[in-house]
Amino acid sequence: MDYVIEMNKITKTFGDFKAVDDVTLKVERGEIHALLGENGAGKSTLMSVLFGLYTPEAGEIIIDKKKVKINNPNDANDLGIGMVHQHFKLVHNFTVLESIVLGMEDTKNGFLKMDEARKKVEKLSDRYKLKIDPDAQISDITVGMQQRVEILKMLYRDNDILIFDEPTAVLTQQEIEELMKIMRELTEEGKSIVFITHKLNEIKEAADRCTVLRKGKYIGTVDVKTTSKEQMSEMMVGRKVSFIIEKSDAKNLSPVLEVKNMTITNKFTKKNVVKNVSFNVKKGEILCIAGIDGNGQSELVQGITGLMAINSGHIFLNGKDITKKSIRHKCIEGIAHIPEDRQRYGLVLDYSLKENAVLQTYYQPCFQKNGIIKFDAVRDYAKKLISQYDIRSSQDEDSIVRGMSGGNQQKLIVAREIDRNPEIVIAVQPTRGLDVGAIEYIHHQLLSQREDGKAVLLVSFDLDEVMNVSDRILVMFEGEIVGDLNPKNTTVQELGLFMSGSKRSESYEIKSKA
Amino acid sequence: MKSKAKLNITNLNWGVSFLSAVMAIAIGLLFGLVILLISNASEALSGFAAIVQGGFADGAKGIGDVLYNATPIIMTGLSVGFAFKTGLFNIGSSGQFTMGAFAAVYVGIKWTFLSGSSHWIVALLAACIAGALWGLLPGILKAVANVHEVISSIMMNYIGMYFVNMLIVSNIHDKIKNQSLPVSKTAIIPKAGLDKVFGSQNINIGILIAVLMVVIIYFLINKTTFGYELKACGYSKDASKYAGINAKRNIILSMVIAGALSGLGGGLLYLAGSGKYLQVVDILAPQGFNGISVALLGMSNPIGILFAGLFIAHITVGGVNLQLYSFAPEVIDIIIAAIIYCGAFALLFKNIIFKFSKRKEKEGEGI
Amino acid sequence: MKTWKKIALAVLAMAMVFALAACTKDQGNQASSDSASGTYEIALITDVGTIDDKSFNQGAWEGVVAYAEENKLTYKYYKPSEKSDDAYLTSIDLAVKAGAKIIVCPGYLFEIPVYNAQDKYPDIKFIILDGYPHTGDYTPVVKENTLSIFYTEQEAGFLAGYAAVKDGYTKMGFMGGIAVPAVIRFGFGYVQGADYAAKEMGLADGSVEIKYTYVGNFDATPENMAKAASWYNEGTEVIFACGGAVGNSVMKAAETAKTKVIGVDVDQSAESETVITSSMKNLTKSVYDALTEYYGGKFRGGEILYLDSSVGGVQLPMESSKFEKFTQKDYDTIYNKIINKEIKILGDQDAKDASKLETTKAVVDLID
Repeated sequence: MDYVIEMNKITKTFGDFKAVDDVTLKVERGEIHALLGENGAGKSTLMSVLFGLYTPEAGEIIIDKKKVKINNPNDANDLGIGMVHQHFKLVHNFTVLESIVLGMEDTKNGFLKMDEARKKVEKLSDRYKLKIDPDAQISDITVGMQQRVEILKMLYRDNDILIFDEPTAVLTQQEIEELMKIMRELTEEGKSIVFITHKLNEIKEAADRCTVLRKGKYIGTVDVKTTSKEQMSEMMVGRKVSFIIEKSDAKNLSPVLEVKNMTITNKFTKKNVVKNVSFNVKKGEILCIAGIDGNGQSELVQGITGLMAINSGHIFLNGKDITKKSIRHKCIEGIAHIPEDRQRYGLVLDYSLKENAVLQTYYQPCFQKNGIIKFDAVRDYAKKLISQYDIRSSQDEDSIVRGMSGGNQQKLIVAREIDRNPEIVIAVQPTRGLDVGAIEYIHHQLLSQREDGKAVLLVSFDLDEVMNVSDRILVMFEGEIVGDLNPKNTTVQELGLFMSGSKRSESYEIKSKA
Repeated sequence: MKSKAKLNITNLNWGVSFLSAVMAIAIGLLFGLVILLISNASEALSGFAAIVQGGFADGAKGIGDVLYNATPIIMTGLSVGFAFKTGLFNIGSSGQFTMGAFAAVYVGIKWTFLSGSSHWIVALLAACIAGALWGLLPGILKAVANVHEVISSIMMNYIGMYFVNMLIVSNIHDKIKNQSLPVSKTAIIPKAGLDKVFGSQNINIGILIAVLMVVIIYFLINKTTFGYELKACGYSKDASKYAGINAKRNIILSMVIAGALSGLGGGLLYLAGSGKYLQVVDILAPQGFNGISVALLGMSNPIGILFAGLFIAHITVGGVNLQLYSFAPEVIDIIIAAIIYCGAFALLFKNIIFKFSKRKEKEGEGI
Repeated sequence: MKTWKKIALAVLAMAMVFALAACTKDQGNQASSDSASGTYEIALITDVGTIDDKSFNQGAWEGVVAYAEENKLTYKYYKPSEKSDDAYLTSIDLAVKAGAKIIVCPGYLFEIPVYNAQDKYPDIKFIILDGYPHTGDYTPVVKENTLSIFYTEQEAGFLAGYAAVKDGYTKMGFMGGIAVPAVIRFGFGYVQGADYAAKEMGLADGSVEIKYTYVGNFDATPENMAKAASWYNEGTEVIFACGGAVGNSVMKAAETAKTKVIGVDVDQSAESETVITSSMKNLTKSVYDALTEYYGGKFRGGEILYLDSSVGGVQLPMESSKFEKFTQKDYDTIYNKIINKEIKILGDQDAKDASKLETTKAVVDLID
């Protein structure tokens, strides 16, 4: 066979822990090869070995039939290997163009030759329909666009072997479809792609073959066309997984959270990012706000939780006006928030697990006395969360959160928020970047909240999630709510039309005109 | 070396900090040795021994001198380190120190109606308050107007210096010597027999006050809800906002406490009874800047700062003893400064060790 | 990558310090004589500032070096760790430890440290310049092992004022540092010298104008420079800059205005082209003489000496002075008159301020 990458019997250990244990990965030229596994299965470690970030203890790497040693990302780059990381590695105050060119700058007499770079980037951008604004600052653009920048960065370097680490996690359905198209075009031009994911739909749709890892071990490589989703997920998880979420009908009780005429203006652009939005969330209901990233969902949630000031409108929790209340007050009143950017908002990364477990409750009498923290109580509480919510880390409650895996970080946040026994859980993209097991777990937790008669407000860009989990769907487009749909009576395609702004529910048409 | 390093890293964050501080010190000393060799090879080794011996060369008196020198820089180091914990760079320690020193000296000279031991205690409290005030302003500016504390506190350094010059001249000026008048005897910090023990006039219970402050700050940072909030703000502004922590209040309080610590340092130095007077000069108090080195070497950990302060004082005394050899005092100044500033590299070594250890034992896979 | 950059930076910083260290050495600021035994018998403790401060430290140090080199004695200077009585005392301790027999302490800041040291080390001799030992209450306690040396600054000031008027200047200025006794003496002498010269030359009453002020510090500041510049602008031809680094400010202003300056304490002619002469205390000579007396077994312990013109305690450096009319002969004449007490020169205790010196030819314009 014509293998472009052969990683034979790779073993990589950290201390006593075998992150990758005797794993073999063979990628054919021009194929899209999926790498499937749960968090902690060793996917990223294996790819980091290929990308030169780690040196394996055992095994060999053969690129283009030549045995190579890859000591650092520069070596990898020289071999034509490029990687889009799960957490983008972009400089926030650079422009898009600068970010793409960074590290590959052409200079003339010590000056950057940006014009040529711009032409090349624009050409690549057109060719692969990777829409970007070369002059926008990284900090101002959406996560989706940041990923496009990362992809362009690889293409700009003329890499032949492209590694995509969970590329679809942040994209909308339409964007995902486009990405799949792009990936296929790339392979047609002879580029080879390693596609790390745990979304079986995408593997089915895009990949040619799939290698499955579980707990650092090689489980097998299968041909995607002849293998069912169920079979692959069983290989990955080691047991059968149910994809259908079973839930009882919504009970339709009184509203818990009411938002009335909320408007938020962006401080810098002075544009209204949330325009006169009104809705409510009832007890025992999962209300989902769907929409393409950047249509005001994040701001809406930040406005409700108090992270962002609102310009007008009112928020009621169980009938009480909490518009002007502090974040702390809202928290006490029963708003739980699983934030969009878990590393930025949800956790103090340099705090230990136990310290993060009491991030909003440290001042309560059970955790402090006369201003002195009762660390024993905190520890016990953290232990309780760890066992109850199955949070895994190397040093349990003493682990520094920064070193924990994304899935477990999210589990910690979910555990903390749900354990506070809130009135309403507001979750933004709670499953972004997580593996099937973790997604299943989090959906289960949200549903059990609902079963307990709590309200859930879920913001998601993942249409499968939206369709599966929610009782009611509101679609946001350009800061407005343009649709109020029942998932039972709608389709993904229809939802897509609402999200792209080409369709509006009648009630909202009238309301916005009135 | 490898296995030893690993042992420290595996569980103890403290171990890493200590190791990196030791490495920084070793580099600094090595560097000092090289300068010694360049300036006068024949006496370099004995000179080097004098530096390393530091305060121990002179028996109890030398140790007394070390403690005297350490007291103010432990306080400024604590001030800078405490603010670091909250994510603030208190470069205004110098100005706060000067303000505190002035307040203490002023009370020490003018408030003679205070009798006995209440005098020096009130004078030290005045030092705390004056320093706190000088920290308060940058704190408010940062919290309310988002003015970067480095800029505002640098300016406060100069304002403090000139303001104190003005206040000395108009209130407590010794015209003949162009400095402050001597403080009243009751305002001198009691020696509690330490001067007999160490055979040094300098030593007083100031060092004990400094140690007490170290303990208090350690406790405050690590054991209290207040410390929890401060550190959360320092590590992640967004997450602490998410948690409902009042960041503005904490920024202000943190600067106030940092200022009070520096101010107290000023009071402790100028009420030590060592015959030191406030000078009318246009020079920022160097203790404030040495505090930055102390904080860096001590990794912002109060206990670390205590030892870093003692070490730097030790080296300073060693530098004075180095004058016994034929090195120009100016060269000695360079050597001591170089050793102190190498101490600031501690953080660099910590990062190196951390990277090394991360590679070694990164847990699990996917970030 | 980042780490390497940091290390490179550190290396660069180190290299710079090496260079500095090398420079310091090359400058030949010999800190001590070569001593095989590792002991140094003549010691000097520096006051605030460096050994080459063009003032007290340097003046006294040159006396130490001159005597020691001539007599093949070992010598060394020590720099206190900070400006405090105890730090000065610690430096004295250090000097004693290194075998000092006689210790020179330039400046009044040593008054309290020497008070303590003279008891602590009865076998060691101390020379203190411009000050006397006391406990802090200004009651002199000069022990047998201590010699206290003062200078009659009013005579030095007189010489400068006299020479300037003789040389043709009539619009003059005096910028003192802080109104401490020594500075006041310089100023009073300066005014009287100018008046005396005007009388000799038969000038009309009020024909010599002297602007007179104390700037309130001893520093080179933009304010001091601005003040000097405005005086020069208003027609002042020469300013007697009497206050440490205040002189630097005045010289800067004079260089711009193409006017003249009179230096103070030591010969400052090398500082600036604008310095026509300096109102000198003969620090070097007095230290040299005191050392000579000590080694000749005639140490005048317990005394407070006021060195005046009769023993060469004050002078103008005629060789480096840039006078046009005032000659060496004129200088010798007036100098002898002062020695013979033919002229009564008032000191700081004799008048309330410079305008009360009862001068007629020279008019003092006191500026606050």
